[in-house]
Amino acid sequence: MRKFAFQLKFAYRNLWRSPKRTIIMLLSLSLGTGFIIWDLNFANSGSREVMKEFLTQYAGQYHISHKDYYDPENKKEFNNYKTIKDEQIQNKSLFTDSTQRVTAPVFVSGEKKTLGILLTGLETEKEMRLTTLARAVTVGKFLDPYGEREIILGKRLAQRINAKIGDEVAIIGQALDGSVANELMKVVGLLDFGGGDLEESLAFTQIKSARELMAMDEDQYHLRVSFDMENEKLPVLPGLAVTKWTELLPEISVSIRFIDHFTWVVTFIIVLVISLGLSNTLMITFFEREQEFQSLNIIGAQTSWVTMTLLLEVFMMGTVAIVTGAIIGHIVTTYCYYFPINIQLFTGGKPIIMGGMIIQPLVRIYPVMEYYWKVPLLVYFFLGSTMIYPLIRVVRRSKNAI
Amino acid sequence: MQFELINVEKFYQASEENKVYGARNVNLCIPEGEFMALVGPSGSGKTTVLNLIAGLILPTGGSLKHGGSDITSLSLEERTQHRLDYMGFIFQDYQLLPILTAEENIEFPLQLKGFTQQEIKERVSWALKQVGLEKMGKRFPKQLSGGQQQRVSIARAIAGKPQLILADEPTANLDSKTAQEIIELFLKLNKDFKLTFVFSTHDQRLIDQVRTVLYIKDGQITETRTHNV
Repeated sequence: MRKFAFQLKFAYRNLWRSPKRTIIMLLSLSLGTGFIIWDLNFANSGSREVMKEFLTQYAGQYHISHKDYYDPENKKEFNNYKTIKDEQIQNKSLFTDSTQRVTAPVFVSGEKKTLGILLTGLETEKEMRLTTLARAVTVGKFLDPYGEREIILGKRLAQRINAKIGDEVAIIGQALDGSVANELMKVVGLLDFGGGDLEESLAFTQIKSARELMAMDEDQYHLRVSFDMENEKLPVLPGLAVTKWTELLPEISVSIRFIDHFTWVVTFIIVLVISLGLSNTLMITFFEREQEFQSLNIIGAQTSWVTMTLLLEVFMMGTVAIVTGAIIGHIVTTYCYYFPINIQLFTGGKPIIMGGMIIQPLVRIYPVMEYYWKVPLLVYFFLGSTMIYPLIRVVRRSKNAI
Repeated sequence: MQFELINVEKFYQASEENKVYGARNVNLCIPEGEFMALVGPSGSGKTTVLNLIAGLILPTGGSLKHGGSDITSLSLEERTQHRLDYMGFIFQDYQLLPILTAEENIEFPLQLKGFTQQEIKERVSWALKQVGLEKMGKRFPKQLSGGQQQRVSIARAIAGKPQLILADEPTANLDSKTAQEIIELFLKLNKDFKLTFVFSTHDQRLIDQVRTVLYIKDGQITETRTHNV
């Protein structure tokens, strides 16, 4: 133990043999580590926040439906004749953060044109509490919780059928009993989804009106959409299907996964570049001391003692740099939690549209604990790797210690 | 325990036909308390013989013995341990560790040997006293003159009370007055503590003071002279 303490002291003193060089190495390692931790937190929070924002607008975390409602191969296809009732859901606590929806593929007819759309009946009050859909209504107002036969249309849809606030539009479809469903509904609001496809294919009405149109019972509905964003675990509901958003929107899910993986690839490249730079500096440092290593060997220091000392030097420097880097990364992350980053800075000020909807551009960065051990491990691994060649050389040279 | 070189030769194969001899047919016995110098022109083989004695290089023929045991059969690690256990080294350019104080430099081989803290303290203090640097133990090498650095180097070599001290041109980097002081220090250590010294040197003042002078030319001992000191 005492011998090791002496070796530690020796290694520590060696670090300060060339203070400027050590400080530069410490800075590059700690800033690199700090940046990587912040960057991973940013990428994670960015995708999660954007995702959360997107799902909160309308799509939800998961859908509870009849097991045959969604086509098992393609979730974009659905069987509108398959409905459910609340009595089928045993776990009533799920109702708190979820809302019923009735979906009706219909034609909407204005004075200019008739188009096929998906009309969704909403529990208005709950939607206003759980979603940010009402925020997307930029012209007119959201659906009145106590009103009926009101409709809000996507802006582009309204333009194409030439419908304005206060106009009545005709809705034609097929009711669940097989009869022709038709109704006149009053346009009360227009939705702005940033000009995406959804603006042209979606319309919303009160759930009561949608049920009447579709000849559905008062307690019947197609979907119960959950907005429990903190709990990603899906409930198990016998006889019913629980479908996560990742299955409903696979293209977005894949994009998020790609961003996550790509961030790690970038991280690897950054660490590799830093390591190569460090390796070069370490080699210079070690080679400058070769004569000293030989003298140490002559006076009785084993090669293993010398190499262990060098490893200790790098380990000490690495630990200080990594801890400092983690602290720096955490401070910057915390700052960006209180002062969110506007990601429109990266899009040249253009709005960010995801799945046909405009996304809130402010990203609040949350620290992710796993990065605080994964990144240090990664840096240690590369740091260790950079030592291999210099150490082999030290060992070879000490065998010819003349 | 004495060190012996028996019919030792060391050659380097420059090409298939061309062998370069660093040492040839060297027979040497270093008894305890010996005060010996290896003398010869540059490239004569002095350092090769010194390295052979230290076990830093292995002979291509003959044997190296210490107390009757063959050193050549030891592994690299065992030879390093052997040097640590039985030898002290003094270098022309001192080879002190710049990051350690004088005391810590002397402490270094003692730590490697595994002495207790108390033993280390006593030996460092004793060694510093012998070389006359009791008050300079806390100084770093760069805060010491060349002569003082060589004294620290000597203190490091003697602190472990080795059976043999090998010194390669120990006075070559010193001015004449300091060199004389260092030689007197060697004499004192040899006389007072029966420490065994083998020098490689060009310095006539040192040659004049040693008991045995071995003249080396082309790797061979050409002449041996003995003085009464």
